[in-house]
Amino acid sequence: MKEITLTVNGKQVKGKEGDTVLEVCEANNIHIPTLCHLKGLTDVGACRMCVVDIEKERRPVPACTYPARDGLVVQTHNEKLEKYRRLILELMFTERNHLCAQCVASGDCELQSLAYEYQMDNVRYPYSWPALPVDSVNDYLVIDHNRCILCGRCIRTCDEIVGVHALDFGHRGWKDMVIADLNQPLGTSSCISCGACFQACPTGAIFSKNSAYKGKPQECQKVNTICPICGIGCEIEALVKDNRLVRIDSPDITGKRGILCDKGRFALLSRKDERVKSALVRNGRGKLEPQPLSKAIDTVAKKLAQLKAQYGSNGIAGIASSQASTNSLKAFKELIAGTIGSDLIDTLDGDTYRTIIKGINGPRAQGGLDIETSLEEILKADCIIVVGANPLGSHPVAGSYIARAVRGNKAKLIIIDPAQNAFPYHATLWLKPKEGTEQLAVNVLSKAVIEKSTKKDSARTKEVAASLKDINVKQNSKRAGIDSDDLLEAADMLSKAKHNIIVYGEGVLQHKNPGLITSLLNLATIVSSQDKERPQIISLKPKGNSRGAWDIGIANSSQSIIKNLTSNNIKALYLLLSDDYVDASELPNLSTGLEFIVIQSSYLSSATSKADVVLPSPIWTEVGEEYTTLDGIAKLTSPLVKSSDDIKADAEILREISQQMKK
Amino acid sequence: MTKVKVATIWLEACAGCHMSFLDIDEAIIELADKVEFTRTPITDIKDFPQVDVGIVEGSVGNTEEEEVLKELRAHCKILMAWGDCACFGGVCAMRNTFDKEEVLRRGYIETESTYKGKIPCPPGVPALLDQVKPVNHVVKVDCYVPGCPPEAGAILYALKELLAGRIPVLPSDMMRFD
Repeated sequence: MKEITLTVNGKQVKGKEGDTVLEVCEANNIHIPTLCHLKGLTDVGACRMCVVDIEKERRPVPACTYPARDGLVVQTHNEKLEKYRRLILELMFTERNHLCAQCVASGDCELQSLAYEYQMDNVRYPYSWPALPVDSVNDYLVIDHNRCILCGRCIRTCDEIVGVHALDFGHRGWKDMVIADLNQPLGTSSCISCGACFQACPTGAIFSKNSAYKGKPQECQKVNTICPICGIGCEIEALVKDNRLVRIDSPDITGKRGILCDKGRFALLSRKDERVKSALVRNGRGKLEPQPLSKAIDTVAKKLAQLKAQYGSNGIAGIASSQASTNSLKAFKELIAGTIGSDLIDTLDGDTYRTIIKGINGPRAQGGLDIETSLEEILKADCIIVVGANPLGSHPVAGSYIARAVRGNKAKLIIIDPAQNAFPYHATLWLKPKEGTEQLAVNVLSKAVIEKSTKKDSARTKEVAASLKDINVKQNSKRAGIDSDDLLEAADMLSKAKHNIIVYGEGVLQHKNPGLITSLLNLATIVSSQDKERPQIISLKPKGNSRGAWDIGIANSSQSIIKNLTSNNIKALYLLLSDDYVDASELPNLSTGLEFIVIQSSYLSSATSKADVVLPSPIWTEVGEEYTTLDGIAKLTSPLVKSSDDIKADAEILREISQQMKK
Repeated sequence: MTKVKVATIWLEACAGCHMSFLDIDEAIIELADKVEFTRTPITDIKDFPQVDVGIVEGSVGNTEEEEVLKELRAHCKILMAWGDCACFGGVCAMRNTFDKEEVLRRGYIETESTYKGKIPCPPGVPALLDQVKPVNHVVKVDCYVPGCPPEAGAILYALKELLAGRIPVLPSDMMRFD
């Protein structure tokens, strides 16, 4: 990048060619007031706060959109510019109904801060006092148009960062408004409630119902941590006041894994599920009653030791939710497989793991989940295949990455799914195979790509080609219920693209067909560019720490234990749910033939009511533990709030039980 | 030394600015040596003498407020506005997004606790203006102390500046709109 030299306020400063005047000034610590500018978004020059004088320009120009050139002479502050900026602020205050005294954002508002900076103690112009609506239909977000300054930061964030583009400007001139879709309430629009717009909003025009009036940012402590909810591992900056979580923000919404989604940003703050506040032990009358934790641990250890002596190690089974942290899961494995010595240990999502690993290890023999690529590869893609997944719902930030690649890179998006098109606004092509013929469809697509390919075949491609020698594109696409022209078009997109990537999810995994995963891996192998050492494929795993749980080998059992509780002579079950809310309906056979059930859980549910002992788990905001993202990066959380004294970390309780049993 | 004569009024307001002024605590003793308060809501004097400084809290929402404000302006050399209502319209101006008739109907007839309500009308009471206005949209204002209410420190700062012979402009770090 060519270096350029500008004169700003009489001083020589350096910048890079392609930078704007604002970027050069910011890099040189020259403060220019801004409102519509947000680092990481395209600048549009909407607010005019950043106007600067440039030699040979007839009038002030916005620094945020003016390209810096070698030799430019810029003035950022003089009497005239300051007069204009104050004037702009006054006009903004007259345009809508800005009443700081009753605004949720007062004290955390860029418009207000600038008014203070410019000592705007009165407004000289007549107010408009427009009658404007407040949209509060969304579960978490409110749009109060009275406080909107039409900077468009929410719109650009929704479009360029989240990729959803639910928001845009509607109407014309002074009737201009931020609208969702075709001017409908946010709650009924294509908005995914990720809340990035809320964080991007410089005023109180977009705010969160669950954080409003709970504490101003300057009164809160800021703690950086990661979100362990879905396995993306988004960075979080949490605001905490008086041991209460006030707000969850991203440290940088335009940065890497920083968008956050409704689950990470809002769901926890509005969660109503009742917590397990202390240990519960079933008493003589068959009722669960609160007991001191140490006593409950004692009961569990004694009972497990007795059952082990009576029925052997394999009389006791252990099943964990993959929402639990790696620390908890390691201690769980130590208790079940180590101290108790049982072979019957599994995760609730163990079947998913077994399907994936069988599918991968079929052609590769080894490599396991490590062959998968990193999530950030999606952002570089120019052709994406989404198979049996709804990323915007299950892993919204991964969904955003896909949508962003489509909008930003003009990437082609191919959906392979018999039931739903998860990206109706983004997909280039929806291949809709008949239910049950997904693998065939993928194989036919692979074959079509091979037939189109002019590249020199690698050894792997030849291998794949050999395995597909019986496939006939025309005939087999018909059998899969796909128009062969669509299929050829998809193959054409894949062959032309430089950076293909395959993302698959629950739709693929629910069929428990490892063959489909092998086929997808084959397709990824032949369409991945030669310079990539791994096939560009990634699976969206069911729980926040699925990858962590699978990596430590908890799901290595050959069959699902929860589904075979009755057939294995299991007499006791230890269920580690942690802060995963699991209903009894997800746990078949829980009450049949078991003598003793221990459930360690944060929340009371229809499952915990069937337990003999319920041990309390903290939730992820209360402990600092390790989680592994779905693409294999181990990350540590930090505790945000303190849990009550009756609640200890899962691992601590599990270790205590282990120790007592060894006595 | 002759004392500086001050008169204060409150218009459409909650009295919070005057309360905040009283929050200057012991500084009021020092102030009392230099300042003579004439007509104020605190002294309860009703007629306007000629004063050096007129202080107004509140916005202008009816004909009486308009008249009183103009009278104060005519009787003072320097006019200072206190609080968001006087400076910007403030909370009182929230009614501006509705029709005057709608506001009166809602307030006097449709209120849940009202039975057989009646809208009071002139000459018994002053008529509402179509819109609530900040003070500077009605008369010339010389200086402002915004805030809802302004901090006692900001009020004291402004008064001390006036006593020192300067027209106060609050520094950025003293500015408050809430």
